[in-house]
Amino acid sequence: MKLLNRFYYLFGKNFVRRRLLTQTSSSVMQHFLNQPFPDKKDFINDVGIVSLDIETTGLNPAKDKIVSIGLVEIKHSGINLGSCWHQIIQTKKNIPQQSVVIHQITDDQIKTGMSIKQAMPLLLARLRGNVMLVHNAKVELGFIRKTCQALYASDFVIPVIDTQVLAKRSLERRNAAYNNHDLRLFNLRRSRNMPAYKAHNALMDAIATAELFLAILNDIAPHSDIEQNKVRLAEFLS
Amino acid sequence: MEIELREIRDFIKRYSPFDVLDDSVLDTLPKNLTIRYFRRGQAFPESFADKKSFYMIRSGAIEFRDQDALLVDKLAEGDIYSQQCIADMPEQGISVEDTLVYLLPCEVLTQLRKKSAIFDRHFNRSINERLRDAVELTHAKGMRDLSAMKLEVSGLTDRLPVVVDKATSIQQAAKIMTTEKVSSILVTTDNRLTGLLTDRDIRSRCVAQGVALETPVSSIMSTELETVADSTLLSEALLAMTRKQIQHLPVLKNNEPIGILTTADVVRHLSTSPALIATDITKANSLEALKKISMRLPELQLQLSLSSATAKHIGEVISSITDSITCRLLELAEAQYGAPPVGYVWAAGGSQARNEQTSHSDQDSALIISNDFKPEHAAYFKTLTKFVSDGLNACGYVYCPGNAMATNPEWCQSLNVWQQTFARWINSPEPKALMLSSIFFDLRPVYGHFSLLTELQDAVLARTKDNQLFISHMVANALTHQPPLGFFRNFVLVQDDTHKNTLNLKQRGIIPIVDIARVLALKKGIHATNTVERLNAAFENKALSAEMHDNLLDALEFIGSLRIRHQAEQIRTGVSVDNYVSPKELSGLEKSHLKDSFSIIKTMQQFFESRYPAA
Repeated sequence: MKLLNRFYYLFGKNFVRRRLLTQTSSSVMQHFLNQPFPDKKDFINDVGIVSLDIETTGLNPAKDKIVSIGLVEIKHSGINLGSCWHQIIQTKKNIPQQSVVIHQITDDQIKTGMSIKQAMPLLLARLRGNVMLVHNAKVELGFIRKTCQALYASDFVIPVIDTQVLAKRSLERRNAAYNNHDLRLFNLRRSRNMPAYKAHNALMDAIATAELFLAILNDIAPHSDIEQNKVRLAEFLS
Repeated sequence: MEIELREIRDFIKRYSPFDVLDDSVLDTLPKNLTIRYFRRGQAFPESFADKKSFYMIRSGAIEFRDQDALLVDKLAEGDIYSQQCIADMPEQGISVEDTLVYLLPCEVLTQLRKKSAIFDRHFNRSINERLRDAVELTHAKGMRDLSAMKLEVSGLTDRLPVVVDKATSIQQAAKIMTTEKVSSILVTTDNRLTGLLTDRDIRSRCVAQGVALETPVSSIMSTELETVADSTLLSEALLAMTRKQIQHLPVLKNNEPIGILTTADVVRHLSTSPALIATDITKANSLEALKKISMRLPELQLQLSLSSATAKHIGEVISSITDSITCRLLELAEAQYGAPPVGYVWAAGGSQARNEQTSHSDQDSALIISNDFKPEHAAYFKTLTKFVSDGLNACGYVYCPGNAMATNPEWCQSLNVWQQTFARWINSPEPKALMLSSIFFDLRPVYGHFSLLTELQDAVLARTKDNQLFISHMVANALTHQPPLGFFRNFVLVQDDTHKNTLNLKQRGIIPIVDIARVLALKKGIHATNTVERLNAAFENKALSAEMHDNLLDALEFIGSLRIRHQAEQIRTGVSVDNYVSPKELSGLEKSHLKDSFSIIKTMQQFFESRYPAA
């Protein structure tokens, strides 16, 4: 069945969404899936985009845990900080030392958080009917999919804009030499003289990703074209 | 606020006017913000703008140009754009770098303005009101910083004055003064302060004259009383004492005497006082002694600026000390080379003449000799002026680079020759004459026959008054020093779109005002040389609107006080004094007040430019 769902991706995310909706018995998943995603023919300026960053204890969704979730919404080429959401997730497993340094989250802070079971419906409610924006989406998608399978026995689907993929495409189009290091969020921002944020929490990274996306958006299409609805979502989707 | 947004709050808080808001208010801001991106070359703000907003630049740069494509302003990180919220016709700019901005809805700005009066001031009040506040605040702040130094005269008068009635006999008064151990007492008539009696009065007006001891004190007391209010700054009281040559100064609070300030009090409290220095100068018998005294001048300037004296006042004190040194040098010269063969006047030029000197600037001078001058007298005056000029140089007033000094034969002439020279300069203003106008149209007599200069000035002013052609030349010349537009990042932003690392406060802030004040004085036949006095007189002569007059005075004082502070810091750290201020030395608020000052100067220059088109 899983393989079959992958095949249905060829028909578009909404097609998969509708199929998953018929298959799931979880009310959380039903709620998430019963709202259509933006169509790839929709104008980029009109669609709701949720910039997301998830901090984890490691890179393996099978073993590692989600530590915190941060997101912010973009609409009409503006990042609305009023829509910010940041949530620390409780884990039973202690965080490896290295990870603490990167995310600046201590065990004490984690204890103030909620369980992933409580947090997941909130996250899905925010993503519902929107496009998900992530820098290097593989990690986030892997963890969300794994969590959905564990909690709701359902697969997960969403249209994705990946700033790393967009940056890579742009570099390749210009035949510029680059390495993976250049594609990191921090370095891409630095190469554009965007401010370096000191804090590395999920929310600030989600905001940093959103800002980078606005810059890339203006690379791909002139600002006036975006404003006058001449630019469609399809150009940005992964 | 999500605690994770603290970084955004902290960014906003770093910049004026948000730096005055409480953290609790600042915490509410991030969730009201929208972040937008402007690609280089994009119009700013967006014309479609659904919602009117207040903008703060997070990174990048926005440029504003007028209809002639001249740069008007340039915004960088931390700068704000509030025109959509407060202006009827918001100016349009262009992003000249890829730019990230924070937008705050105008309604939220309105709420913030209601919450904080100080914050509100930044938007609500006009440029002149903001600047007035800044000037007052600068002086009030200096005062607070040094409250320990008791800089108001009330802090120095540590005992109530001894008071006697005017009918008291001289002997009785002397007895009281002895028991009370005071050198002066106040005399009242029907409880009204009417006189002052000092040890010296008893000696010179009673004992020496053989006046009977039973005579009432009223017959020998001084009745022309100089008094000061208790809130008078020590430095100002000192100036009054120095000028009027008095040693006792009654201090009044609500018109009631609360003490007597004596030179001894002052000496106790300030080793570096203008009065003390002036006294030492008159006693100095050699150039060496004068050199030593003049080394105390920077310290004097430092003391004065710490005592929150105004820039105008500091200029007056320093200039008066320079006058004293000049006079003493001339006395010493005459003692050495003999009395002058004919009368002359030594005139100071430039900032000294305007009473706007800061310690140790260049020397500018002229000698005007009586028309009895004969060629054989030239040698005497050559020796005399060389002695004084060398002496001034030794005292730290370096030779004028333009050679506008009495040692220059051109600047050492008989009155008749001077009259001809000025007539030529005024009738056909040549570049050199215009260049030196700050010196030779700002002359003030310092020593000798003052009437010689007065006669010359009367003739000069008669020629310049309402002389349109000459005034046009002078205006054009006065407009050569343009103020900067403001600041951009840590640079000074100037008209031709270049950035400078430092700002010459004198040349770009003070001189433009000084130059215009001079033009107004020449046009209206005003004798004053001091810029503030010239502007006052110009206003009285209806050559300047009340608004422009007030604004220029505030701008002059604000820039002057920053200059004085900058120099005080240099004196304190032992480096040589200059007028170059780095934008890094200035707070956000000071930059914004400076920008207000520049815009006042700019407005004034535009006014004169249109009124007196280049001839």
